Amino acid sequence: MPSTPAIILFLPLAVAAFVLLASKGFKLNATVCALVSTASVAITLVLSLALIFGAKSDSPDEVVKLFTWADFGSLQLEINATLDRLSRGMLFVVTFIGTLVHVFSLGYMKDDAGKARYYAGLSLFMFSMTGIVLADNFAMMFIFWELVGVSSYILIGHWYTKDSAADAAKKAFLTNRIGDFGFMIGILILFGATGSITFAGVEQGLTAGVLTGGLLTAATLCIFCGAVGKSAQFPLHVWLPDAMEGPTPVSALIHAATMVAAGVYMLVRVSFLIGVSENAATIIAYVGGFTALIAALMATQQDDIKRILAYSTLSQLGYMVMAVGLAAGEAAMFHLFTHAFFKALLFLGSGAVIYACHHEQDIWKMGGLKDKMKGTFATFAIGTAALIAVPFTSGFFSKEAILEAALHHDMLLFLCAAGVALLTAFYMTRLVVVAFFGKARTGHSDHATEVPMIMLAPLMLLAFLSIFSGYSIIADTLSPAAVHSEFNLAIFLTSLGALIAGAGGAWILYAGKDKDPLNIGIFRNKFYFDELYSVIIKFAQDKFAMVVSAVDDLFIDSLCVNGISRAVNGFGLLLRRLQSGNLQGYAFVFGLGILVILYIALINT
Amino acid sequence: MGNFLEAPYLLEAVVVVLGLALLMLEAFLPKADKRLVAYIALFGLAGVLVASFNMKAPENLEHSFWSFYATDNLAFFYKNIAVLATMLVIVMAIEYTPVLEKYVSQGSKQGGLGEFFCLPVFVCAGLMWMASAKEFITIFVSLETVTISFYVLVAYMRRNVGSLEAGVKYLILGALSTGFFVYGVTWVFGLTGETHLEKIGIALQGLEGSDSAVLFAFTLILVGLGFKVAAVPFHVWVPDVYQGAPTPVTAFLSVGSKAAGFIVATRILQPFLEMERLHSSFTTILVIVTGATILFGNFAAIPQTNFKRLLAYSSISHAGFLLLALTCTPDQFQLTPGQVVAFYLATYLLMTMLCFLVLTIVRRSTESDEIAAFSGLHRRSPFLAFALLIGVISLAGVPLTAGFLGKFFVFTLAIDSGRWILLAFAVVGAASGFYYYLKVARAMYWEEPTELAAIEISPLARLALLLLIIATIVFGVYPAPILGLLTN
Amino acid sequence: MLETYLPILMQLGVACGFAVSTLIVSVLLGKSGKTNPVKDSAYECGMLPIGEAQPRFSVKFYLVAMLFVLFDIEVVFMYPWAVVFKDLLVTSLLPVTLGMAGFVFILFIAYLYVLKKGALQWRD
Repeated sequence: MPSTPAIILFLPLAVAAFVLLASKGFKLNATVCALVSTASVAITLVLSLALIFGAKSDSPDEVVKLFTWADFGSLQLEINATLDRLSRGMLFVVTFIGTLVHVFSLGYMKDDAGKARYYAGLSLFMFSMTGIVLADNFAMMFIFWELVGVSSYILIGHWYTKDSAADAAKKAFLTNRIGDFGFMIGILILFGATGSITFAGVEQGLTAGVLTGGLLTAATLCIFCGAVGKSAQFPLHVWLPDAMEGPTPVSALIHAATMVAAGVYMLVRVSFLIGVSENAATIIAYVGGFTALIAALMATQQDDIKRILAYSTLSQLGYMVMAVGLAAGEAAMFHLFTHAFFKALLFLGSGAVIYACHHEQDIWKMGGLKDKMKGTFATFAIGTAALIAVPFTSGFFSKEAILEAALHHDMLLFLCAAGVALLTAFYMTRLVVVAFFGKARTGHSDHATEVPMIMLAPLMLLAFLSIFSGYSIIADTLSPAAVHSEFNLAIFLTSLGALIAGAGGAWILYAGKDKDPLNIGIFRNKFYFDELYSVIIKFAQDKFAMVVSAVDDLFIDSLCVNGISRAVNGFGLLLRRLQSGNLQGYAFVFGLGILVILYIALINT
Repeated sequence: MGNFLEAPYLLEAVVVVLGLALLMLEAFLPKADKRLVAYIALFGLAGVLVASFNMKAPENLEHSFWSFYATDNLAFFYKNIAVLATMLVIVMAIEYTPVLEKYVSQGSKQGGLGEFFCLPVFVCAGLMWMASAKEFITIFVSLETVTISFYVLVAYMRRNVGSLEAGVKYLILGALSTGFFVYGVTWVFGLTGETHLEKIGIALQGLEGSDSAVLFAFTLILVGLGFKVAAVPFHVWVPDVYQGAPTPVTAFLSVGSKAAGFIVATRILQPFLEMERLHSSFTTILVIVTGATILFGNFAAIPQTNFKRLLAYSSISHAGFLLLALTCTPDQFQLTPGQVVAFYLATYLLMTMLCFLVLTIVRRSTESDEIAAFSGLHRRSPFLAFALLIGVISLAGVPLTAGFLGKFFVFTLAIDSGRWILLAFAVVGAASGFYYYLKVARAMYWEEPTELAAIEISPLARLALLLLIIATIVFGVYPAPILGLLTN
Repeated sequence: MLETYLPILMQLGVACGFAVSTLIVSVLLGKSGKTNPVKDSAYECGMLPIGEAQPRFSVKFYLVAMLFVLFDIEVVFMYPWAVVFKDLLVTSLLPVTLGMAGFVFILFIAYLYVLKKGALQWRD
């Protein structure tokens, strides 16, 4: 009987293979495939709950050995499962959101032609993500890290006939590769220094002080590179908004709740590293803070409902990364936990809206939806409340914890975080006001009706958790980490002030408007990052290509290829003499060979 | 008695009996479809394969006959390779039947085809016996069982000039090399008075003087083995014989004959290399042969336009990589050269058989072995094109294929034992491999087909191809099962 | 060491010496009688002395001859077996006997095959 973690890990893989083969090879009905996939993820949810409740409060953290993937003597690549509070909680988040997204997709993707492929992709993603969560060593983490990238690529590009989707998938993949390259170098530095790739082994090596100073900082930052890519931090944040080209449930699962949070999870997993490298920690905190700020600014001027949410995700991830850098990993994980619910809720809610409005995503073409889609509106409003940290919702508690960490460590970051809170309240209120209030601006939104129950039910469940997941009764058992911050009046007042200022400002500006009264180009155009990158890449590519082409012409072509080919041809002519097809000739070569070897053996040595 | 009947050499006995039974079937049922013989052979060999996993080395090794018969992991591993290779060759032979009919029967339907399906079974028995042979006479007899069967198989298409020419060349040069081999063995016997390899090892340790005689004997034996594994300069027969022989036989030569040569080399070289006084001389000879083989095999492959001939040179170059492993004396690496060679051969089996199986099928419909015949194959049969693609990229050593891991282990071994010059040769060779292997891929995917008719594949061949593709990829990612067979 | 090969050298000398000396002796002692073409021709039992320089044989001849040699040699193998394994019969009767039984069995099958394929039939 395989162990529970083994089932949780490999069931989705088996299902992905099954779905793909069965639908392709045996023309199995796509709906059946979808149901199989959904059932499997539900099973993993039950199993991960069993893991949580099966663990006694004092049960030690353990590593369950699954199998050795490759054994190179000094280097053993093992596929193991770490079981501690962090991974159990994360496992719950992943499988729970996964289950809801699978269920929601049953409705959302009902008529999609590539439904079986879509579910195979989702199952593959669940496998990869579970692998990251369970990893006990850098190699396994890296393997699944890449697998997550692949499945994300498959899912973003699900509608691959659409150019923008295909481009977005490519962009996401390539941008992630940059981060992963750094990640790999970081792993290699750590392996080189400590001779181990397990987290425990590396930690031991670091405690023993085999790696210090600049190299330690470099290694930590390289590892952080991985998180920058996957969690879309500045300067690699550009892929996430484009990734919204994928189906909305995918955005909810991968690009809001789980995969992008993997970077944060990984950083917390290796927090021992950040703990010993102060310089790196500071840089990480500032990168997080900066990302949070610029993303929030960009979000204020977006019109696409999913893009607003995408920038909001960026900004919230920035919060988490900042918390990690401030040595408040628990706060980061707590925020990750609550954020997963309300952000998934918001994305699924936006999915419901988009579904109802016949795939219209521009908020200025919606309006007045609150009466037509009461259930969706109610749940969306709850999600928004949690995101903008209305007191006593889950988001409030977790954001409080991060603000507190910032206040204790770095005033500048605290101010930045408060500013982000204000902006968050502003752009979310803008979104709700424009999309749900007022009057319908187009026929699409005029004819919108409430979505079916199979889509609404996950929303309600998530809405419930968006409010209550911050309370200790839930957070203490299910979350990967919970923080009970003491009431701090300064922080409370700051965040309340930010909330009121942001939400109130947006209400005043946007209530009853039909088009955006503000037009701030630099925000609307995302600080021109995409343009900047394309100019840099084009310039660098041109110059690089010029150099390469020169080297190719002068050195490789003329010297290596032609030179060698001439030499080979000459040699070949010589050999052709030998390979004449003449038997006596062959026997002669044979005998000559023996003589030469005998000469070397007997006389020359 | 019970012990006697569970003995592993029963595997060989069963294979021989299977071969004899097939021969009788063929002789007494002249009217039956000859492919029936092939199917029975396949079935029987599959049974042997399953049984070989359940065989255990006997507890009581004092028994007088056991000293001739090795029952280590390596022996069983090579037996598995032999059986698998034979099964694949028979699958290929079934696909090849129309060509054989054309050049063998001529007129009478399937006349004289039966033996073509029986002989591989006898080769298989020889190969299996050789895997366990650790005594010169046993080695010689099993080696000749294999070689003589091959003489017949190579010249099998008696109405095809190419096949006959190949047969004559193989016979004459093979006899020549056998002569040298036996002469070397005689010298060793003269020096030590033993034919048993372990005892020879002990005797050589105690030998004083006669260094030249030992070196002479070593060189002569190396000549014989060099012929079998296609090492330069004893490779001269390879291109012509590979090209002329019926394709299934070429595949068998390339995998079976080579595997046989290497298991024997692994076992024979050991007592010599343990002789510290002459260790450096022995390795010098080996290194020179290895270097020449790697360079020649790879460079001569570059200008080839015939796929079968290309595979012949590829076979020489792989022999070079394998020999490289044998020259190594590992320091820290936990696999011995013998194990690395065995692993490499297992992966080599997969990818070479993949290529030859596709070649056989394509040959049947295009009547040509030229690379040009593969132009636009992906339009005619995407499955075949993909299979061959996996085969050639694995031969080239692209990561995530089995071929990559084989090369990876060999290179690691070379680094570990500090064979820097050979390593440099090997890197150059492997790099040029990308060029000539991918030439085939280019033809399949980027060039226009001369005709568009789809190519039919029989269910059996399809299954074999599918299994080979899966194995090539799976073992490239997860080699633990093969390594497990070798080490535990 | 080389003196052990002395008898071989002597044997060699005797063999050559015998051949040469008988020729010389026959020339010295014999009277050269009358000669005619028939008397001068080489004598070979059962063969026509006069004909083409390279007469054609039926391919069957080679087939039968080869089969004869093959089976002949295989039977010769039994002599060393009988001598060498005599002592072993005491300790391991079964493997030794079964080994030869197997050998004979294979020969028998081969014989059956040859017979069935008609290799020993002179006429088609």
